[in-house]
Amino acid sequence: MAQTDEPHETAHDDLHPHAPMVEEITDFEVLEIAVRELAIEKGLFTADDHRRFTEFAEEIGPTAGARLVARAWLDPEFKRLALEDAIAASREVGVDWLEPTGFGTPSDFTALQVLEDTPKLHHVVVCTLCSCYPRPILGNSPEWYRTPNYRRRIVRWPRQVLGEFGLHVPEDVEIRVEDSNQKHRFMVLPVRPAGTDGWSEDDLAEIVTRDCMIGVALPKPGVTTNAVTAVRPAIRPAEHQ
Amino acid sequence: MSDLDLVGQLRPALHQVQDAPTPDQIDHARFRAYLKTSHDVGGEPDVPGVFELKEEEAWELNTYVTCEVLGWRGIWTSEERRRIQNVDIGRTIYLGLPYYGRWLLTAARVLVEKHHVTLGELIERVDEVRRRSPQQIGAEPPEAAPRVVGDPAAVKRNHHHLAAVGKGDPQCFAGMAGKPGFGVGDQVRVRGLPTLFYTRTQEYVRGVVGTVVKVSYESLAPEDEAFERDDQTPEWFYLVRFRMTDLWEPYAGCPGDTLQTELPERWLAAVDGATTRED
Repeated sequence: MAQTDEPHETAHDDLHPHAPMVEEITDFEVLEIAVRELAIEKGLFTADDHRRFTEFAEEIGPTAGARLVARAWLDPEFKRLALEDAIAASREVGVDWLEPTGFGTPSDFTALQVLEDTPKLHHVVVCTLCSCYPRPILGNSPEWYRTPNYRRRIVRWPRQVLGEFGLHVPEDVEIRVEDSNQKHRFMVLPVRPAGTDGWSEDDLAEIVTRDCMIGVALPKPGVTTNAVTAVRPAIRPAEHQ
Repeated sequence: MSDLDLVGQLRPALHQVQDAPTPDQIDHARFRAYLKTSHDVGGEPDVPGVFELKEEEAWELNTYVTCEVLGWRGIWTSEERRRIQNVDIGRTIYLGLPYYGRWLLTAARVLVEKHHVTLGELIERVDEVRRRSPQQIGAEPPEAAPRVVGDPAAVKRNHHHLAAVGKGDPQCFAGMAGKPGFGVGDQVRVRGLPTLFYTRTQEYVRGVVGTVVKVSYESLAPEDEAFERDDQTPEWFYLVRFRMTDLWEPYAGCPGDTLQTELPERWLAAVDGATTRED
């Protein structure tokens, strides 16, 4: 590679071996505009419907889920509620699963189950058929979760795949893979890690990353980032809207 | 601008000649392989891949929102969307296009299939948007600019988008399926039914015995919901737990490992005791 003035360019290319192939207006961008215009012109939905749902989609993220986990660690009553009626427990951390339509998001449904890990049981979630994921409480799924590779392998070789995320589960711990294939959505309630005695709910929520709630990582004092951090950049990212 | 060479190379990579075979060349296994629903990838062998995040393109967010708003306003249910974008499109496009590219094609398709636009209107509009897009590298796409606002009352919509309001889904089906046929602790065998066009019962659990761990909820089965058959009767769903060693032979993990998935009653048969795989 030729020398450049950009000091980060080499590292950048190593992280993102597949540089974007196209920078013109893509076929997807053209088709998306055509479909949206026609749907509005035919009265299927309004531009305001689209704007309202976009605002909802931009607001959701994993912090509510992390809050639920932290509170369950601190409050046995709340933990019981989370395990018995996760939809009700979600409301306590600010997530109303009936939003934004009055019957929930069309693709996520309104049935959540919290999977409780123990020192002898570790859960990990996948959807082998598409990408079913508890968006209202965890936000949109990470790219790797939707890949055929993760979906093919985690149900058959879970210990190997978890090892690729840096999570090595001891042999005396049962792995339970949850293949989220119908209307239930699932999130993992990990075991509260050692070294967190006396921590506040805010402190605890900091170490409950999205990857911990999918089950490909364990919470650890001092670790507040996901197991997977490499990001492939967009050509024209949604944030610029 | 012929793409014939590229199209030729994009044929499904089955590594076997497939060019309109005669009926005697299609045995049961080959029939099942061709008819396999392309979304059902669980357990397919693969090598370790690179797991990474991806910044969302603006069109990807817009596409996701368009699809969800079509559900909100009763144009389809998400199960109709999943059937079209994950199975109807076939394996080559399923594996060959980006995730939201498939969502987008499906939104376009449903507008045509449900007679909200003609295919001619769609094609002309795509061509028109393309012509008003700046051609230079790095240019921003044009804004979506609907010319009129349509009459919402003139649009045919489903029953579900109103029936579920204030209840949620699957709660909107509660009380419609009668008494559940199985209870917690029951041993069940997943039926080895043929697969045609759509299912959410994975190939890797068919024929295997598991244990009911939760009587989940009542809902239309995916085989009905995916084809807008809300005239059909909802049924009970069950969370079923399997031993990994019953699902995979050999299983390369630990003997105590398990897997859970959710199945509608039509796919389950009662068993007493036996835990071997059905052929």
